[in-house]
Amino acid sequence: MAGATRPRTVGERVADADASAGKALLVAAGALFWGWLVVSWVNRWLGGAIAPVGEPFVAPDAVESAFAAVPGLAAVAADAAFVVELSPVLAQGTWLTVVITGVSLVCGFFIAVPLAVARVYGRFSAWLSLGYTELLRGTPLLAQLFVLYYGLNLAASVPASLSGVFPRDVVWVAILGFTLNGAAYQAEYIRGAVESVDEGQITAGRAIGLSKIESIYYVVLPQALRYAIPSWTNEFVYLIKYSSLAGFITVPELYYRANQVATDTFRYTAVFLILGAMYLALVLTASKFMERVDARVAIPGLGANRER
Amino acid sequence: MTDGDFLRVSDVSKWYGDEQVLDEVSFGMDRGDVTVLIGPSGSGKSTMLRCVNRLAEAQEGSITLDGEEVLSPDTDVDELRREVGMVFQSFNLFAHLSAVGNVALGPRRVLDLSENEARERAANQLERVGLADQLDSYPAELSGGQQQRVGIARALAMEPKLMLFDEPTSALDPELIGEVLEVMRSLVDEGMTMLVVTHEMSFARAVADEVVFLDDGRVVERGPPEQLFERPENERTGRFLERIASHD
Repeated sequence: MAGATRPRTVGERVADADASAGKALLVAAGALFWGWLVVSWVNRWLGGAIAPVGEPFVAPDAVESAFAAVPGLAAVAADAAFVVELSPVLAQGTWLTVVITGVSLVCGFFIAVPLAVARVYGRFSAWLSLGYTELLRGTPLLAQLFVLYYGLNLAASVPASLSGVFPRDVVWVAILGFTLNGAAYQAEYIRGAVESVDEGQITAGRAIGLSKIESIYYVVLPQALRYAIPSWTNEFVYLIKYSSLAGFITVPELYYRANQVATDTFRYTAVFLILGAMYLALVLTASKFMERVDARVAIPGLGANRER
Repeated sequence: MTDGDFLRVSDVSKWYGDEQVLDEVSFGMDRGDVTVLIGPSGSGKSTMLRCVNRLAEAQEGSITLDGEEVLSPDTDVDELRREVGMVFQSFNLFAHLSAVGNVALGPRRVLDLSENEARERAANQLERVGLADQLDSYPAELSGGQQQRVGIARALAMEPKLMLFDEPTSALDPELIGEVLEVMRSLVDEGMTMLVVTHEMSFARAVADEVVFLDDGRVVERGPPEQLFERPENERTGRFLERIASHD
């Protein structure tokens, strides 16, 4: 038994080869995408050290003639050149999309955890938490953004310390909106996970003299947050795409910029296809990343069926 | 016999809603005593045990531990539970922590020992229950018997003056019961004061100073094991023991 490796079946070998080819392709695409983004951002921060700010790294004309030379690709040569021409704008918009999503997600998380705990273990606070969650989940996100931006005019009251961090202060309003809204959704995912932690866990914590709040902090949450990862990833993925709603309150993120280009050039199909691809790349990155996190923090001996 | 007064349970009654589950239960233990609670399921044994560390709240009666009233509203329950170790039927190990992590959590967070001191104490306790080679194993990687021994080590690490065992072997496969009972026996030998709910009659017979038979929330009969097992005075005790024996 010991040391012997079971020979692999033909089917397994084919599946392995397919999987590693797919993985290699995905990794290459990811490296290209993020490499381009990061270089674009660094270039912008350095004031155009690599290429003039706002200019693509490759000349669109060169791309067009390169494509035209290949028989099968000649038909899309103009579109390819257009996408290259667009790339600086896309990179710039993606930066804001990534920042808005990341900051809102993290801030929302710190609101969501207390909301979820209150919902499960609180009395009065459970009702408060429920009310918050239902209100924020039960009304359209766009309406919430409009209330914050047009209704309360919050962009005018961004604190001086935060003002000027982003090209427009309205970005803060968008972050606030997504934080408050995302917290409600995250709280629901986390609540489900908290409820799934066996009651005996908290009893055992109490039995060694931990207070209720300590038992929740040291015993329940470390388990619940692990269990929540797969479903919580949904919220991550949704938020990347929902963040496009910020465009409706004039935040110059990815969707807003792409839409502007489309309106200016009337090349809606090309612009929105490439926009879709950008979001897809972000979403795939997020879900792959969370898969890694999930595997990394997995409790030994549990969920062995997910072992690779 | 005279009642001990290290742990004294006097006329404890408890209701869940309108249903009375404990009816004026009384018994006492001296330091170093082993008392075994036996009785049919639903007789209130586990509830009685949980009243001692206030995981369940009795409505009436008095429980004193080392002279201090447990059921008083002024009692600091967290302080009380620091001094009373508990072992559960379903182990209730912290699923996300290794064996050492499970045992060290109390010393670290409740007794405020340093990380190193807590881990050292945990390692010592795990060695005491024969798990020196499983320090870094996680609960899901351990057998039931090993898990329960971690559970015992976790309680011992708080250096309790009283240990409560709530059917510690009931969830175990028969071949794993022995290793847990062996650890419990060694605790008896060390002079630990233990209040045990169990169906292991041979264990009760071997180590108990007193056996308390509960039925319907009431103490039907209590006494030294040789008396209770050999010459039960109450007919219900006799019937219960016969039923248990026929399954052995």
